[in-house]
Amino acid sequence: MKKIEAIIKPFKLDDVKEGLTELGVQGMTVSEVKGFGRQRGHTEIYRGAEYKVDFVPKVKLEVVVDSELAPQVVEVIAQKAKTGALGDGKIFVSSLEEVIRIRTGEKGKQAI
Amino acid sequence: MSQPQFPISLLQEQRQQLLARFVKGEEPHFLERHTEILDDYFRESFAGSTVGPRMRVEKNPYAIIALGGYGRKEQCLHSDVDVLLLFKKKIADEAKALVREIFYPLWDMGLQVAHATRSLKECATLASQDFEVLTSLLDARFLCGISSLYSELMGRLRDKVLRRQGGAYLAWLAERNRERHSRYGDSTYLLEPNLKEGLGGLRDYHAMLWMGRAAYQIAEPRDLEFSGHLSHDDFESLCEALSFVKTVRNWLHHLSGRKCDQLYFEYQVRLAENLGYRQENGQRAVEGFLGDLHGQMEFLKRQHLMFLKRAITAKKSGRKKGPGRTVAAGIETVRDALDFESPEAILQNPHLLIKIFEKSAVLGQPLAVGASRLVKEFLYLVDERFQKSPAVIKSLKRILSASPHTFNVLNEMFTTGLMTGLIPEMKGIVNRIQYDEYHLYPVDKHSLRTLQMLKGFRDAPLDEPDAFYAKIYKEIGNPELLLWAGLFHDVGKGEQDQADHARQGEQIVRRVFSRMGFPQEDIETISFLVREHLFLIHTATRRDINDEKIVVQSARHVGDTERLKMLYLLTVADSKATGPKAWNDWKATLLKELFFKIHHMLQEGVLATRAAADLVEKKRKEVFQRWASMPESTLQTLFEQMSTRYLLHTTSEEMVRHVGLYQRLGPAPFVLDVQRGPQENYRTVTVCARDFPGLFSTIAGVFTLNNLDILSAQINTWRNHIALDIFRVKAPPDTLFEANVWDQVNKDLSAASQGELNLSAALDQKVRAHQSLGRKLPRQPDKIIVDNESSDFFTIIEIFTHDFPGLLYRITNSLFQCRLDVWVAKIATKADQVVDVFYVRDFDGQKVDSPEQVTAVEEAIKHMLANGSPEGPGS
Repeated sequence: MKKIEAIIKPFKLDDVKEGLTELGVQGMTVSEVKGFGRQRGHTEIYRGAEYKVDFVPKVKLEVVVDSELAPQVVEVIAQKAKTGALGDGKIFVSSLEEVIRIRTGEKGKQAI
Repeated sequence: MSQPQFPISLLQEQRQQLLARFVKGEEPHFLERHTEILDDYFRESFAGSTVGPRMRVEKNPYAIIALGGYGRKEQCLHSDVDVLLLFKKKIADEAKALVREIFYPLWDMGLQVAHATRSLKECATLASQDFEVLTSLLDARFLCGISSLYSELMGRLRDKVLRRQGGAYLAWLAERNRERHSRYGDSTYLLEPNLKEGLGGLRDYHAMLWMGRAAYQIAEPRDLEFSGHLSHDDFESLCEALSFVKTVRNWLHHLSGRKCDQLYFEYQVRLAENLGYRQENGQRAVEGFLGDLHGQMEFLKRQHLMFLKRAITAKKSGRKKGPGRTVAAGIETVRDALDFESPEAILQNPHLLIKIFEKSAVLGQPLAVGASRLVKEFLYLVDERFQKSPAVIKSLKRILSASPHTFNVLNEMFTTGLMTGLIPEMKGIVNRIQYDEYHLYPVDKHSLRTLQMLKGFRDAPLDEPDAFYAKIYKEIGNPELLLWAGLFHDVGKGEQDQADHARQGEQIVRRVFSRMGFPQEDIETISFLVREHLFLIHTATRRDINDEKIVVQSARHVGDTERLKMLYLLTVADSKATGPKAWNDWKATLLKELFFKIHHMLQEGVLATRAAADLVEKKRKEVFQRWASMPESTLQTLFEQMSTRYLLHTTSEEMVRHVGLYQRLGPAPFVLDVQRGPQENYRTVTVCARDFPGLFSTIAGVFTLNNLDILSAQINTWRNHIALDIFRVKAPPDTLFEANVWDQVNKDLSAASQGELNLSAALDQKVRAHQSLGRKLPRQPDKIIVDNESSDFFTIIEIFTHDFPGLLYRITNSLFQCRLDVWVAKIATKADQVVDVFYVRDFDGQKVDSPEQVTAVEEAIKHMLANGSPEGPGS
């Protein structure tokens, strides 16, 4: 099993979600996050006063899938979230030791 | 059956029958019936008790007494049954056995029975020490045993406890209610209200009852009316509200199978169905149900607060209605509340109906209970003439703009029905629920909250986190229009078809404000704000706001900075008033960023003007006509790739030619097009190429290498990374073999872009050859300006210097060495004075805005100008 985390541009969320649903991904966790990478924050000036935007708003997506499906998931996210410009985001893939569904106690694949 | 039934099996049977009738909707008085059959059980089992007779009633009288909800005859399905076993003297030894006999069967049946066994003295002592105990005893009701003992208990409470500690008890109750309200006032309880403890829950009514019992010796709920604390109508409405909430609570107990008082999401839809709600007027059954529930709970909450206020002030001042002080003709203030001088005054002057609210808003005094009642009764006076009356509208404006108080005057106007009388279009949003986790408040409450938020910006001290909004608010010329928009922005949600509530709202707003005689200009602004109130938040969260084109389009859509500011504040207030899911720091950042960008675009740019939009549209039509052979969709896609700047500054003839070049380009890296003109000895060279960093400097270098003198140049980059670089050059000296020159340019360009030709080296050689020709002329110092303020998307570099062969190549090559990408360039030469303007971003697509970066770029260009030019010291 793999856990795939992706940081994407907020307005790309719907596209990515749609793509993943088509792929048969059953669930995902979405959070509104802020941070910076190569796309830094910046300072806005409004009537002489400075307003600092230190962190850029992004959306973080977490999906857990069977290892076989992981490459396709990564591909769909990369394709759907791409604008070609800076700040398109990153995808992190990591191996997952165990998944447990709390309600039933099912483990592994069944619990995804 | 001939054999008499055991009391417990009778209870069980009766409970089941009662529940069956309730579920079928045939038992409107479940709680009373439930209480009665429990009463029967206690009496029967007491009468048939084996222990009871041994307890010698005549020596130590005792009684069984119902407490709490059971005492109040409102025993809900799974609520605790609170019972007190009261002894006159000390507790008899057999008490335990009696408890076993009477209470154990109830436990076995699964009922939650809480019992206490106490003596009279213990009760009085405990009650004076612990007000919780006192509270539960206030609801006491005699069940069986010696009834005089019950009377004695109540007498002792009255004489020994309440007489001495009544004031303290009222204060304690008020404080506990305040605590309860703040604990359950959290937004989650709006979506999943707590029917017992929540705002407008049954506890609010109980608290009234306890206060009434402590302060006014009220025995039965009806005494609230008989003693004049509630009007007949209010009491009737109270009973209706209570009955509704109690029925809902009982259903909830039934559906959840336990003592559950919070109306969780999972039960809401089923409950609505069970209560007989149906889809109606485009509103779901559950939305209708929750709307009613909110309405009833709101009523309970208000009754509670008014009662509390009166009980406290009555206790403090102790005086009855004193003489009034006139605050306006026909309106007086009595005990810090506004009242009409007489009902006749309203008949003579209906304007008083709204005047009293205006005074309330201005003076910060609420309406007396009687005054609200009178407003309701005289609503029939609110007719079309009233709606259109300038005096009425003036009052309404004052109320709208008044600073918020602890109570909300507009809310009072809604509650009395005056608001919907005045503006019938608002009827549809009263208690209108939107069933999701997002919209916490019914639409009318949400609208009022939005208005409060806006006024909050107005009144906010500047060090609050909202200081920025306060600043914007102060810049708005006519903020009243914004306040109107806040109140009306969701009025379209009351319509049956909610598909586009913003547009529906716009129609309604036009009608309402025309009727009220507003100037057309103001109507336009309010309509705009209502129609577009979702535009900014949708753009901020669903569009790429780092795309200049999106910002240009948004700026055109909004039109001017005044409207932008109002729309921005409306968006923030609307989101904040919706609930925590609709507003957080994350969304605030996105929205603020969009605001800055649009504001900047409107202030600085010509890109967003109406004239610009018209011009672009005209060009688009012309190009489409000329390229009729091309599928329209292909052309349209291509048009979307063109930047606003390109569309604005390029003629339609040029565009037609560029589209042709793009067609010719196909998979090739570039195509070159040479046109004669504008004059005989000039050539316009257009290069259409796949963009790569350094493309522009490469072309410039190749031209210089081939002795082509560049007079001006322009770079355009389409969004699909197609570059269109247009150069105006002097014709080659030998026009006879001109074709050969262009062939060579083509070859060199191809070689240089593939890295086969070292342009820099080749040019160095060339410049050295020219050096001997260098003229020493007096010259102005070079000037380099790096401008990061004019555009949110590009850093603009302006270079003022003297021309020399290869200058353009050197400048653009320096920019390339600084890892900058040129997106737009305007090169102009006047005599030998050059003004070059470059719109650049770094290779990551960001502006060059850190001070170190700016200095580095300036230094690099200065260094290049100093060393690269023929007269420079280093050459």
